[in-house]
Amino acid sequence: MSDTVFEVQDVHYSYLGKFPALSGVNMTIRSGEKIAVIGANGTGKSTLLQLLDGLIFPDRGTVTAFGERLLEHSEVYEKAAHRFRQRVGLVFQNADIQLFCPSVREDIAFGPLQFGVAEGEVNRRILEVAEVLDIQHLLDRVPHQLSIGEKRRVAIASVLAIDPDVYLFDEPTAGLDPLTVRHIIDFIVSANQRGKTIITATHDLHIIGEIADTVYVFGRNKSIVSGGSAESILNDRSLLESNNLIHIHRHHHDGREHVHQHLPLEPHD
Amino acid sequence: MSNPLHKKHDFIERSILSALAFLKDATLSEEYANRKGFLQSLDPRFNTISFLAFLVTAVSLKSALLISSLYLLCLILATLSGIPIRKFLLRTLIFIPLFSLFIVLPTLFSFVTPGEPVWSFHVVGITGIITRPGLDGAVLFVVRVAASVSLVVLLSMTTRHSELLKVLRVFGIPQVFVLTVSMSYRYLYLFATMIENIFTAVKSRVGVVSHHRHGQNIVAWNIANTWNRTTQMSEDVYMAMLSRGYTGEPRLLSAFHAKPQDWLWLLCAVVICAFLFYKGYTL
Ligand SMILES: Nc1ncnc2c1ncn2[C@@H]1O[C@H](COP(=O)(O)OP(=O)(O)O)[C@@H](O)[C@H]1O
Ligand SMILES: [Mg+2]
Repeated sequence: MSDTVFEVQDVHYSYLGKFPALSGVNMTIRSGEKIAVIGANGTGKSTLLQLLDGLIFPDRGTVTAFGERLLEHSEVYEKAAHRFRQRVGLVFQNADIQLFCPSVREDIAFGPLQFGVAEGEVNRRILEVAEVLDIQHLLDRVPHQLSIGEKRRVAIASVLAIDPDVYLFDEPTAGLDPLTVRHIIDFIVSANQRGKTIITATHDLHIIGEIADTVYVFGRNKSIVSGGSAESILNDRSLLESNNLIHIHRHHHDGREHVHQHLPLEPHD
Repeated sequence: MSNPLHKKHDFIERSILSALAFLKDATLSEEYANRKGFLQSLDPRFNTISFLAFLVTAVSLKSALLISSLYLLCLILATLSGIPIRKFLLRTLIFIPLFSLFIVLPTLFSFVTPGEPVWSFHVVGITGIITRPGLDGAVLFVVRVAASVSLVVLLSMTTRHSELLKVLRVFGIPQVFVLTVSMSYRYLYLFATMIENIFTAVKSRVGVVSHHRHGQNIVAWNIANTWNRTTQMSEDVYMAMLSRGYTGEPRLLSAFHAKPQDWLWLLCAVVICAFLFYKGYTL
């Protein structure tokens, strides 16, 4: 099928051959889809995104992107790799790692310059993405001295400047204030409306209604325990609870203790 | 409870922390470089060339008075660039003994004439006779060091380090080198911050770090761990570079654009140096 972006088949991955991070993952992602990968810490979400970005390669199983298998030493070091990297952009979980240039401006310029975009056009794109992410005032700042929310927006800008077809977001809203979260969700939704494929790893259930049509739940066994529409997953309390995705509140009322959980859209009491 | 041992450890810990903070502040912070001021508004390439010219002048001149005028110029430039004079003097005074050592050493050796075995006697001989030329020499030396150090410190305080590095590129140093050095520089900063954070984190968990054996172990383990974390980090950064299309041959923005005022500034610098040289020659 020509509109298949990623085909993941029975993928196993372990760090240094002894720390398992993924075991037996299957998924198919089509062009223009909005996908969320949810799971507690350490269930392999970041590992999956790095596999999809062709940065690491499965021990067993295959990852196919745009109809071609991602292989070390063939895909990464050749022309096809360059094309692939232009089409897929990853916003890393840790913005400190993503931003390695001495100024915000240079960080945004880095991607396009590597792809041979002319400098005039690069400068135009810098201003454009800075406006979209509201970071015009930060262009000449040093990235590692910014606040976490500012860093996150710069990191997204550095990927947006490449204008990929597929965005991979690794916990894009973790640790951010509500306004910045709003800004990032709006960005994701509008990118999807422009036809971009979006894959987001998160454990923030509040946002997945907006940023995903399809949700995959990763469990402690480091594989997919369930998948389906965002609505059906959000309504499956026992699934979310057993996978450590909803917190349980303990309250005292008139000396009696009672315990209940919260779903994302329910008001806290 | 005043435990003397505890006090001592506390003192050591505070000294380490303040030394770290000073180093970070003096060498890694770019507070003044980010300010709006005279030198900051100019192209770093032109600043570097002008300062090199001043430096050559300061080192070549034989008159303490003329060198002092360069020093004065340096203080004026610092003020125009938004650097508090007190802070500037403090920072240069700390560096002067360090630089003096490097400059004094060769001059010391030039006094040692070949074949003469006891040079300590020789040194005593020199300090013993305080003649007019001797005193003049000492004054000249101190003024020269003060002026040179101030010039170097002023340039490094008003220019972002990444830009100073980029100036190297103008002189034909390859981009990979510039990128690597500027990144190591950045991670040095992260590293210093990490160690600072570890001290504070351990302190908040253990109470007082230093008199607690347990606390010390945590600090030791954390410093080793920090090293692992930094190597892991460099692998991760490499992945982040790959992800954005890096192929081993980095391409960076060509950042400098000379304005008329840059050329004007360079002209002023050259005229000042020429004038000082002329004065020095006719004196
Ligand atoms: N560099 C690494 N070295 C060893 N183990 C790792 C490394 N990175 C991740 N892991 C392990 O792999 C598993 C999956 O990690 P990760 O993909 O980061 O999960 P998530 O993003 O869902 O929190 C975890 O058990 C983690 O401990
Ligand atoms: Mg993760």
